[in-house]
Amino acid sequence: MFQKWIDSSMKKSPWIFHINAGSCNGCDIELVSVLTPRYDAERFGFRLTGSPRQADIVVVSGPITMQSRERLVRTLAQVPEPFCVVSLGSCPRSGNVFKGSYAIDGPLEKWTHVDVSVGGCTPKPEAIIAALAQAAELLEKKRSRMHG
Amino acid sequence: MMEMIYGQIGGAVAHFPIFAVISLFLGAFLTALVGKRRALLRRGIVFVSSLVSLVLVILMIPPVMSEGWIITYWMGGWEPVGQWAIGIGLEADALSLFFALIVTAAVFTAALYSFPYMAQDSQPENYYTLYLMLAGSLLGLVLSGDLFNIFVMIEIMTMTAVALTAFRVDYDGALEGAIKYMIVGSIGSSAVLVGIAILYSQLHTLNLAQLALRLPEANSPATAAAFAFLFVGFGSKAFLFPFHPLAADAHAVAPASISMIISGVITKCGVYGIIRLCYVLWQNMSLPAVSTAVTLIGAVSCFICVTMAFNQHNFKRLLAFHSISQIGYVIAAVGLGSFFGLEAGLFHAMNHTIFKGLLFLAAGAVQHAAGTLDLDRLGGLARKMPRTFLLFLIGAAAISGLPPFNGFASKWMIYQSVFEKAEESGNPVFILVLVLCLLSSVLTLASFVKVTQSVFFGPCRPEYAELRDVSAAMRVPMWILATLCVITGLFPGAVRNILLAPAAAAAGNPAAYIDAVFGVGTAAGAHIPEAAKASETLIGCWEPLSWLWLLLTVTCAVCFVMVLGGRPFGRTVQADDAEERRQASEKLFAGLPDPKYESFFSGEKAEFSHVGGSDLFWGFKYSLRRYFSYMRRWHSGNVNDYTRYGIAALAFMLAFAVLCL
Amino acid sequence: MDFLMLAVQILVFPGLLFMTAMGVLLTGLGGKLVARLQNRVGPPVLQPWYDILKCFGKEMIVPEHAGRAVYIGAPVLGFAVLCTAGFFIPMGGRAVFSGTADVIVVLYLLTFCSVMAMAGAASTGSPFAGVGVSREMVAMISYELPFVLILLAVGKLAGSDTGGVTFSLQSIAEWQRIHGPVLFHWSMIPAAIAMLFVISCEAGLHPFDVAEAETEICEGLLAEYSGLPLAFYRLTHCVRLFIMTALFAALFLGGLAAGNDGLAVLLLVAVCIVLTFLCMALPHGICARLRVEQLFRFYWTVVTGLALVSLVLVWFGL
Repeated sequence: MFQKWIDSSMKKSPWIFHINAGSCNGCDIELVSVLTPRYDAERFGFRLTGSPRQADIVVVSGPITMQSRERLVRTLAQVPEPFCVVSLGSCPRSGNVFKGSYAIDGPLEKWTHVDVSVGGCTPKPEAIIAALAQAAELLEKKRSRMHG
Repeated sequence: MMEMIYGQIGGAVAHFPIFAVISLFLGAFLTALVGKRRALLRRGIVFVSSLVSLVLVILMIPPVMSEGWIITYWMGGWEPVGQWAIGIGLEADALSLFFALIVTAAVFTAALYSFPYMAQDSQPENYYTLYLMLAGSLLGLVLSGDLFNIFVMIEIMTMTAVALTAFRVDYDGALEGAIKYMIVGSIGSSAVLVGIAILYSQLHTLNLAQLALRLPEANSPATAAAFAFLFVGFGSKAFLFPFHPLAADAHAVAPASISMIISGVITKCGVYGIIRLCYVLWQNMSLPAVSTAVTLIGAVSCFICVTMAFNQHNFKRLLAFHSISQIGYVIAAVGLGSFFGLEAGLFHAMNHTIFKGLLFLAAGAVQHAAGTLDLDRLGGLARKMPRTFLLFLIGAAAISGLPPFNGFASKWMIYQSVFEKAEESGNPVFILVLVLCLLSSVLTLASFVKVTQSVFFGPCRPEYAELRDVSAAMRVPMWILATLCVITGLFPGAVRNILLAPAAAAAGNPAAYIDAVFGVGTAAGAHIPEAAKASETLIGCWEPLSWLWLLLTVTCAVCFVMVLGGRPFGRTVQADDAEERRQASEKLFAGLPDPKYESFFSGEKAEFSHVGGSDLFWGFKYSLRRYFSYMRRWHSGNVNDYTRYGIAALAFMLAFAVLCL
Repeated sequence: MDFLMLAVQILVFPGLLFMTAMGVLLTGLGGKLVARLQNRVGPPVLQPWYDILKCFGKEMIVPEHAGRAVYIGAPVLGFAVLCTAGFFIPMGGRAVFSGTADVIVVLYLLTFCSVMAMAGAASTGSPFAGVGVSREMVAMISYELPFVLILLAVGKLAGSDTGGVTFSLQSIAEWQRIHGPVLFHWSMIPAAIAMLFVISCEAGLHPFDVAEAETEICEGLLAEYSGLPLAFYRLTHCVRLFIMTALFAALFLGGLAAGNDGLAVLLLVAVCIVLTFLCMALPHGICARLRVEQLFRFYWTVVTGLALVSLVLVWFGL
């Protein structure tokens, strides 16, 4: 029963850690706007956290530049299991307008398993919330698979 | 204790005080005779002589502490005739014995520690000779029955302590520290000598009991001046404000075992002198002026030294300032003039010897292993020296007054006694004292957080990668002290009944002290105050029972978690997509350690970065920068300045004594 | 039978279960109130509980520089010590333990709890945690001075009958039963206001949570904590809020509904909720986080001043 409780609280308290992998800052601002009183993602338990050690959902924005690649992979390795990776915007998905640049080493799939991907340049806050909610659902499934 | 018999106690016990002192001095001469070689024999002599004195002192506890005897011993059988005591006498009442116990126990422990600690140093024969001389003089000082012998012992003590401070003469600052100690220390010694001279010219005797008998009647400005000189003299031996800068200079450079003796025992002898002076000889601690002044000096020492400790970069220098801060607590409590306050002060004096000894020995272990004491250059030793770390933590918790260690019990008693005094006298100064004491306690904690963070936590520096914990021989004395920390912390009631109450009663009963020398009834004729009433205040800080419940709570909490978490500690959980990420990370970081267990460094590769030493507590130091810069200017390190402070203190005390006594 | 009774007290009321439940409830309510102040819906009241449960389900990563025993032991011991402090505070008319100076015991146990948080953080070897330790310690120095003055003022007032100063929570409650709550004495109102600030800082609430600033120093003290020990830290946080508010209730509003234990507990819960609103929701909704030296200056001037005013007034018998 305790395991069930824990599983169900996985999706009720997903804490977000945000990695900017060379983003133009557009997606980052939209992510923050999701937590403002207007959209209030906190009502679902979402919270931005300052350390990857406490994250449940890692949100990656930007086209994975060569400079940020190592930092990204290192930080992802430091997140405790189970967690979800959400790619935010078109850049981590395809490279967007930067595709083919010598300075990027994307897409994000190359470096990690991406659980939810939300497209757009930039995505609407509603879309971000939907993606995060989906990731939260996935969290519970991941957790229950881990001990199941 | 009720039916006191102040006569000559028969049997072998009567000779124990002199044997205890002689054993140490004899050991000193034998060590010198043994010479450079035969290390084992030398250690044997040191061990046996310090053990013998400890055992003799312990054997004196039942008759003196429990049955209330006062042991007097006259050298060469020169007993007092009429009411004149001319011979050299030793007089061991419960107060002297209490301090004798502190002295011999600390000397024995520090000797055990010295064997491995000083093994690499050259000239061990000089070290041990001086060490036993120092020990003998300390024991002689507290057991002595006349003022001139006290002065002689103070001189031996100061000179040997100076020599031992400079023993590691190749250390940076060792000679400087020793010279400062000698110069400013000699002001204290001369003050004692001047005081003695004035007293002798007035009363023609130096026997403590006889002085106690005659002083209350012979009150004059001259004796008041003598009081001031003696008070400043003993105060300088306790390194009280404004003599405290010396302690830092001397402690920081002395070998750790000697730092333990200087901080744990020499300062206590100063405290003993002040108690003897104020309670037994002049019996003036009941005067509001004296009581307020002494308490205030204690509280100010306490506060100033704890803030000075904040700024230190050297492990032992920091500890040195804390010693004086803790002595400040003791003096503040002793100065209250109440029975409970005296008990609290004595208890804290004893506890301070225990925990500060432990801390100095731990600092010595760090120095032994890492070769430095600079807080800015140490770090991450907790994993290299786990046992020393544990011992250090016990000491740090005790000095910060965290329950259930002994510092908590005695600090609690001090707060309670200050509060009672404030209430009884209605004097707001005591509330100030209380606030200063409580604040100093937090600041003490803060500076030990600083030490712990700087020395033991954080990443380990590459140069200490091969570091090994110190040998078991060095840890044994530390374990003895750590065990004492816990025992006295858990059973303060027992300690109070066995040691503190008799010692405080002896200090509060000069009549018994006089009668022991001159026969029963002598004091009744003179104007000697009644024996102080034992305090009714309970040590209500806690019942050990509640701490068992704490333990139960811990266990429950852990079990709760085990059930809830559903899996034992540490088993890593494999998520289904973890493998993919691991491969990606392999690709980038092939050959490097797994980044998963590195510290989070904002995604960068973890570098060596240690927040410690002077970087901690920025907000506090910044807000009080004016105070700190003033303090820094004031503690100039210049021996001329320190001498001037000493003379100023003497002048102040003189004026105070002549006006108020 | 006695043993059973005590076990129930320790584990259920007013022990672990009650304190945890109250702590979670208060923290959750505080979060909800903040949200309402900002015109949001806000997280559910049980949000802290979900957070804690979730942390139990996460992997625990012990960083390579950390000492394993301290890393896991410190949060657990900190929590246990905090609960022990709670046993000394009268709730619903009586405390589990009482002594002649339990105020000082509570003071030191709360300190011990903070020290455990610092020890655990320092053991991880992270520079962010190092900065967190330093800030936590400065915060502690800041609130300790006014805290002591407040305790003195209350002790002096409650001891005025016997002509002494009392350090015992039991006799403070006794005094209030006869003379009415301390808060209703006008001279104590500044001390009560100061105590509100002390609660905020002691419980690490928003404008004063310098040590765990998530945006500046990556959660500070908690930078390297994950999984099970993190859950304990969260729990400690919640319980600490409850204990501090309960201490306020015991010091300033004791003796209400004496004789009726059930009503007394209900009143305690109500007082705690009001205090949570005052100490947590209101400042959180209004202020941005202070810098550490601003915090220090604020506590050593304004808050200490308030406490001192009360102490002086009480000292002169007003």
